[in-house]
Amino acid sequence: MGQENLSAHKRSSAANALPTTNGRARSAPRGRQIQKTFNNIKITILCGFVTILVLRGTIGVNLSSSDADAVNQSLIEETNRILAEIRSDSDPDDNDTSFSHNTTAAFSLGPKISDWDQQRQQWLQQNPEYPSFVRGKARILLLTGSPPKPCDNPIGDHYLLKSIKNKIDYCRLHGIEIVYNLAHLDKELAGYWAKLPMIRRLMFSHPEVEWIWWMDSDAFFTDMVFELPLSKYDDYNLVLHGYPDLLFEQKSWIAVNTGSFLFRNCQWSLDLLDDWAPMGPKGPVREEAGKVLTANLKGRPAFEADDQSALIYLLLSKKEKWMDKVFLENSYYLHGYWAGLVDRYEEMVEKYHPGLGDERWPFVTHFVGCKPCGSYGDYPVERCLSSMERAFNFADNQVLKLYGFRHRGLLSPKIKRIRNETVTPLEYVDQFDIRRHSTVSSESKSQ
Amino acid sequence: MLTRCLGARRLRQIRRAFRHGAVTFLCLFLTVIVLRGTIGAGKFGTPQQDFDNLRHHLNSHRRVLEEQHSEKTTTTTNNYATFDISTILVDEPSSKDEITRDPKAPYTLGPRITNWDQQRKRWLQQNPNFPNFIAPNKPRVLLVTGSSPKPCENPVGDHYLLKSIKNKIDYCRLHGIEIFYNMALFDAEMAGFWAKLPLIRKLLLSHPEVEFLWWMDSDAMFTDMAFEVPWERYKDHNFVMHGWNEMVYDEKNWIGLNTGSFLLRNCQWSLDILDSWAPMGPKGKVRDEAGKLLTRELKNRPVFEADDQSAMVYLLATERDKWGDKVYLENGYYLHGYWGILVDRYEEMIENYHPGLGDHRWPLVTHFVGCKPCGKFGDYPVERCLRQMDRAYNFGDNQILQMYGFTHKSLASKRVKRVRNESSNPLDVKDELGLLHPAFKAIRLPVSSS
Repeated sequence: MGQENLSAHKRSSAANALPTTNGRARSAPRGRQIQKTFNNIKITILCGFVTILVLRGTIGVNLSSSDADAVNQSLIEETNRILAEIRSDSDPDDNDTSFSHNTTAAFSLGPKISDWDQQRQQWLQQNPEYPSFVRGKARILLLTGSPPKPCDNPIGDHYLLKSIKNKIDYCRLHGIEIVYNLAHLDKELAGYWAKLPMIRRLMFSHPEVEWIWWMDSDAFFTDMVFELPLSKYDDYNLVLHGYPDLLFEQKSWIAVNTGSFLFRNCQWSLDLLDDWAPMGPKGPVREEAGKVLTANLKGRPAFEADDQSALIYLLLSKKEKWMDKVFLENSYYLHGYWAGLVDRYEEMVEKYHPGLGDERWPFVTHFVGCKPCGSYGDYPVERCLSSMERAFNFADNQVLKLYGFRHRGLLSPKIKRIRNETVTPLEYVDQFDIRRHSTVSSESKSQ
Repeated sequence: MLTRCLGARRLRQIRRAFRHGAVTFLCLFLTVIVLRGTIGAGKFGTPQQDFDNLRHHLNSHRRVLEEQHSEKTTTTTNNYATFDISTILVDEPSSKDEITRDPKAPYTLGPRITNWDQQRKRWLQQNPNFPNFIAPNKPRVLLVTGSSPKPCENPVGDHYLLKSIKNKIDYCRLHGIEIFYNMALFDAEMAGFWAKLPLIRKLLLSHPEVEFLWWMDSDAMFTDMAFEVPWERYKDHNFVMHGWNEMVYDEKNWIGLNTGSFLLRNCQWSLDILDSWAPMGPKGKVRDEAGKLLTRELKNRPVFEADDQSAMVYLLATERDKWGDKVYLENGYYLHGYWGILVDRYEEMIENYHPGLGDHRWPLVTHFVGCKPCGKFGDYPVERCLRQMDRAYNFGDNQILQMYGFTHKSLASKRVKRVRNESSNPLDVKDELGLLHPAFKAIRLPVSSS
């Protein structure tokens, strides 16, 4: 009976189902079919259209190009091309690409002059408005520089900028003029050797300058109050940071540092520059010289001749000729190797005060080996850059003190106020202005 | 069973209705998605945003994982190219001992000083070693410029800032001017172009020996190294800007003057004008409202927040009687020179004229307004801006290099070539422009005059 019911049910449902369709089919079978097909097609097209739109919106199937995107893309490509061009070493008018290394003729920085002291004295007498001593202090010219093209990475340029600001601050406080060199005056003496022709050139062009102070771009002033004790060097013509035992006994290639040194403007200096330069010319000369230096100096790795090793070799091999006028300074950090100093800044602030210049409060913190302008340094990037930032802020705090501010932390670019604004600001000027506390005599003295 | 409850026909109807409903719902859903994709549905976001969110989410997860796993490797990488500077800069929060301004009180640059002239005069008398005039008719000048303490967004931006400051160092060395390069934001409320106001006030009050403060934007370069500013011309004025009287007072044109390069005397009047200038500056509602007012009142000004230049035009135009007699709008030489009309003519200038003129024939300053080399986007094409900045820099640098016997190979070239042979009597050789030992730098006995 169930089965009968079921079959009846089936038949009835079928019958139910069929009559409707059958009914429809019987009434207008063709029309209905067409309409249904038409409906189906409509829905299919609609769905297809919607799918395409959605795909375009999400993954960008560009059947018709989008103008804004294309313009953006070309802008980005154009910018990248220009940046690459600016950073490259190529020049729009690089005519003399053929550079023959002159190995036969001996290299010279310029025509030999032997009476520079007399010429200079004469000039100074004839030009009393350009004395070599101002307010009792010898005139100093700080020379620094960097390569003319952008650094291999953008961070390098940023730290060059911070470095020059740091030097501007120190020199403003101490009445020193700055020359920032961005040109290679002598094609053969490029790289670290570029300072030699520049020093010589400046000595000639500025006879009123008594001392030329070369400073590397990776050296930062960290003691804004300390002033060079120039009276110590009255009988000397070259002041270098270094250690006599490292130089004479161990013959170490880092016995002195040519990242920060002083050259007196005199005949002796010209002669030394002439004796120093021969290892410099790019090419086989520099390579060969490099080998000689590595063989003779302790600890020197094998690479082309650099100015520091060459000077050490010169001072060692011609000791009698030069050493009596060379002062090896190590009582303060005319050059301070950064690794042993940067972590102690907080301790220094706590225990000591600016003006000491030595290991208690270093005069100069020199980031040897960091090479932020290149692609690779000798030390981890993070250590180098955070240390440079700390050194910069450590020095900047000393400058900002006059204005009543300091950095929030040694790694922070933001500053915070440490002294209220007042209607009598001059009392603080008297107290905090570094220039008023330096050891400057009150009368101007002629040479 | 359902058939028995509702009836077969009913069931069919329901089923059909259901099908229709499903199709309708599906189509609606797809429409919403498409609309989101094409025009974006406001806070419901766009697929691009979804994608970014997802990527960021995944990335942050990944970064956390990477940091945990490879902490050692990130600290020992020696490669500068892949390093992210923001990982070492620490933005420390305000500490308890920090002195902050009361946010409810109306903005001021500092407590009002009314006797600055007397205070300064007394100080100068007590400190004869720091005279405000270093020679007759030559006041002590402090050139102030600056940039952000964080690296530029544009990879070559810092390089152009470096060239710009070297250019300023050269001019100032020749003319006996001191430089202050600012990299600190003195007041967070006055950020952006307004940052110079608290800085200038602070410097005026901290350096009483400075007679004139010369503000110069970081995108302005000296292109005439021989031109000395005619200081005597301004002996009765306190504020010198490049501009035109008609454009400021009659037309109220928003570019009637330029605050990218101006001279401000260190005196009570200057403190007062800084106080009157500042109110439009504070970030937020004040600056936005002020911007709307300025766009309405000034000619040709586009719609954006209040900037210091428009505010100065408005201040001078509306309070001419109070300030006008001590403001000098200079247009006899290019204290500020808009780069667009100058940079293409450098070769023509070299041919026809000589340094020392300072005007349209040989501009003192070429100011790259709108270029914004430190940011990602400027108002002009990148190529034009950067190439022209190179040319302007070399144009100025040639005047420095000629002192030493060199010049750039061309205005576009970084390389230099020798133009004067080395001599064995270097002191007999004079540089053409006489910039090595110019008269305006000669030392005379210190003279203090008020």
